[in-house]
Amino acid sequence: MSDIKIKSKNLNVYYGNKQALFDVNLDLNEKEVTALIGPSGCGKSTFIRCINRMNDVIDICKVTGNIEIDGIEINSKELDVVSLRERVGMVFQKPNPFPKSIYDNISYGPKIHGKGESKNELDEIVENSLRKAALWEEVKDRLNEPGTGLSGGQQQRLCIARAISVNPEVILMDEPCSALDPIATAKIEELIDELKKTYTIVIVTHSMAQAVRVSQKTGFFHLGKLIEVGKTEKIFKNPDNKMTQDYITGRFG
Amino acid sequence: MNFALIFLIIIFSISLFFYGKSKTRSLALQNNLKLNALPKFYGYYLVLWCSIPSLVFLLIWTLFEPIIIKSIIIDNAAKLGANISDKNEANLIYEKIKAIHLGTYFGDIDNILQQSALSYSKFIGLFTNSKIVLIFSVIIGSILYSLKKIKNNNKARDDVEIILKGLLFVSSLIAILTTLGIIFSLLFESIKFFSVINIFDYLFGTNWSPQRAFVRDASSITVAEYEELKDAFGFIPLIAGTSFIALIAMFVAVPIGLFSGIYMAEYASTKIRRISKPIIEILAGIPTVVYGFFAALTVGPFFRQFGESLGLTVSSESALAAGLIMGIMIIPYISSLSDDVINSVPQSLRDGSYAVGATKSETIKQVVIPAALPGIIGSVLLAVSRAIGETMIVVMAAGLAANLTINPLESTTTITTQIVMILVGDQEFDSPKTQSAFALGLTLFIATLILNYVAQRAVKKYREKYD
Repeated sequence: MSDIKIKSKNLNVYYGNKQALFDVNLDLNEKEVTALIGPSGCGKSTFIRCINRMNDVIDICKVTGNIEIDGIEINSKELDVVSLRERVGMVFQKPNPFPKSIYDNISYGPKIHGKGESKNELDEIVENSLRKAALWEEVKDRLNEPGTGLSGGQQQRLCIARAISVNPEVILMDEPCSALDPIATAKIEELIDELKKTYTIVIVTHSMAQAVRVSQKTGFFHLGKLIEVGKTEKIFKNPDNKMTQDYITGRFG
Repeated sequence: MNFALIFLIIIFSISLFFYGKSKTRSLALQNNLKLNALPKFYGYYLVLWCSIPSLVFLLIWTLFEPIIIKSIIIDNAAKLGANISDKNEANLIYEKIKAIHLGTYFGDIDNILQQSALSYSKFIGLFTNSKIVLIFSVIIGSILYSLKKIKNNNKARDDVEIILKGLLFVSSLIAILTTLGIIFSLLFESIKFFSVINIFDYLFGTNWSPQRAFVRDASSITVAEYEELKDAFGFIPLIAGTSFIALIAMFVAVPIGLFSGIYMAEYASTKIRRISKPIIEILAGIPTVVYGFFAALTVGPFFRQFGESLGLTVSSESALAAGLIMGIMIIPYISSLSDDVINSVPQSLRDGSYAVGATKSETIKQVVIPAALPGIIGSVLLAVSRAIGETMIVVMAAGLAANLTINPLESTTTITTQIVMILVGDQEFDSPKTQSAFALGLTLFIATLILNYVAQRAVKKYREKYD
C-alpha cells in the first residue's frame, strides 16, 4: 500500500446558496491513479478543483473543511496559491492551448515560476515535458508553430506537457478524453499509465471502461456525496453500495 | 392633391384588409375547404396589391409630370416666337409662365406669355384629371385581379412572402445606391479639381492657402493664373496636422481606454461594471460641439496660462488642447470594444494559465491580451478613423492656418477643418477653391475606408479563432 498524498476531511463546497459537496472524506495515494466517477453535476469536478484551489476563481464559491497535501493544510488563507498550483497541475476537459507557439505554451509555466533562466535550460524543460507527454516526436520540427494548429488529441497532450512543465507532484485531469476520438483517447490512457510512475494522478471520467483501464482506486460520487471509494477492481466487481452497483451497471446516470 | 390620393389608397387598403379576411373565412366555411393560408394573409395580400402598384404609379407620374409639361410648354412658346436660345432662358420663361398661372407675376405680360400661361393651366388640369382617372383604374384593376386570385384560394402566404422580400430588397438597394451616389459625386468633383491642379502638386505640396485661388471659373483659367495658384493646394500640411492631432488623441485614448477596458472585463465586479460601463459610454454620446467649446474655451486657455507661467509660448488654439479633448471623446470607443473583445476570450484559457500557477495580472498580460490583440488593434484602428474624421472639436480648438509644425503648443489645422472653412459662406461652385473641398473629402474618405477595412479584417480574424 502506497502512502497517502492527499487527504480531504469534511470537505463542503457551496456555490452561493447551493451546496455542491457534502462532507467528503477521501484519501488519494501517492503515485497512483484515482478515478472519480458519477453522474453529471455530482461534484467530481468541484472536488478536484479544490485540490489546486481553482474554485478561488469563482466569486460565489465557498469551501469549508480541510484538504491536506503531504500533511499540510491547503485550504487556508495563508497558503500561497501560486506555489500550490506549481505542485498540483491540471488538465481540462476541452484542450485549451494558449494561442501561442508550441514552445511558448510549454515554457509559459516555467517562466512564471522563474525556472529555466537560460535558453538552454528552457529548451531542456520544453523537450523533457513534450517527451513525457509523448508528443516530442510529433512536434519537434515545428515548435514555433501555433499550438492551436495541432489536432485535438495532440492539443490535449500539449496541455498535459504544459502541466508537467512546472514539475508538479500531482496532476488533476477533468474528463481529459471527453472531447477526443478513441485513438487519441487510447494514447492519453497509455500516457497516464506512464505518468503514474512519477506523479499522483486524479482523473474525473464518465467512462467506466476508462476508469477500469487506468485507475487503481475509484471513488463514486452522487449528488455531492462520496458514496463509495475503494480499489478499482473491487468497486467494479463487487461494490458494497447498491447505488454504486446501479451506476456501474448503467441503471442510472 | 397627391396627399389626398395617398390618403385614399390607405383607406382602401385598410378596408380591403378586413374585407379579405372575412371574405376568405366565409368562403372557407361555405365551401368547407381548407385555406392555403391564414385568412389574415389574404388580407395582407389585398393590401399589398391595392397599395404598391398605385403608389409606384403615383411616384412615377409625379416625377415625370413636370418634366413633360415643361418640355411641351417650352416647345409651344418657341413655336409662338419666344426668344429661347439656351437652357437658362428657357428656365426663365418657364418660371414666368408658372408665376402667371399662379397669379404672382407682376412684370409685363406679352402675348406669348399670356398664351403659354393659358395652355399651361390647361395642361395642368388635363394632367391632374388623367392622373386621378389612371390611378383609380390602376387601383380597381389590381383589386379585381387580387380578389379573383383570392376566390381561387391561391397560396397567399407565399405571395406575401415574395412581395415582402422584394420590398426589403428595394430598401437595401436604396441605401447602397445612395452611398454609391455620394462616392461618385465626390469622385467627379475631385476629377474636375484635378483637371486644374496637378494631382502631384496636391499630394506633395507643402503649402495650403486656398484663399489665394479666388478664380472665377476653372475652365477659363490662364497660364499665369495657374502658375499663381498651383502651389496653393498642398495637401501635406493638412495630413500632417490631422495625423498629429489624431496621434495626440491616441496617446490619451489608447492607454486610458485599454486599461479601463481591462478593468471592466477582468477586475470589476458585476455591480461596478453594470454602473460604470454606461457612464463611460455617455462620453461617446456627448455632442462633439460641446467637446469643441470645452476644448476652445476651457482647456486651450488653461494650457496657454500654464505654458506662460513656465515661460513657454502657447497659442490659445493648440494641437495639444484639441488632441487631448478628442482623446477623451474617443476613450469609450476603445474601452467598450476592448472590453467586449477581452470578455470573449474563453475562460478555459485563463483557467489553463491559473492552473500552472500564474497570477491574475500575469494571465492578463501574457495570455488574455495576446489572445485579444487582433480585436484590440481593430478597436484602436476604428478609433483612429473616428479621430481623423472628427470635425467639430478641431474646427473650434485646433486653429485655421495650415502650419507645418510638430510643436503641439502651436496651432495647426486638419482636413476636416479646411473643408468647413472652404464651404462656409457664399461660394462659386466652379472655382478650384470650392472643388478642393471635394478632393479633400475624397482623400479623407479613402483614408478612413482603408482604416475601417483593415480594422474589420483584424476583428474578423480574431472572431474566426474562437467561434
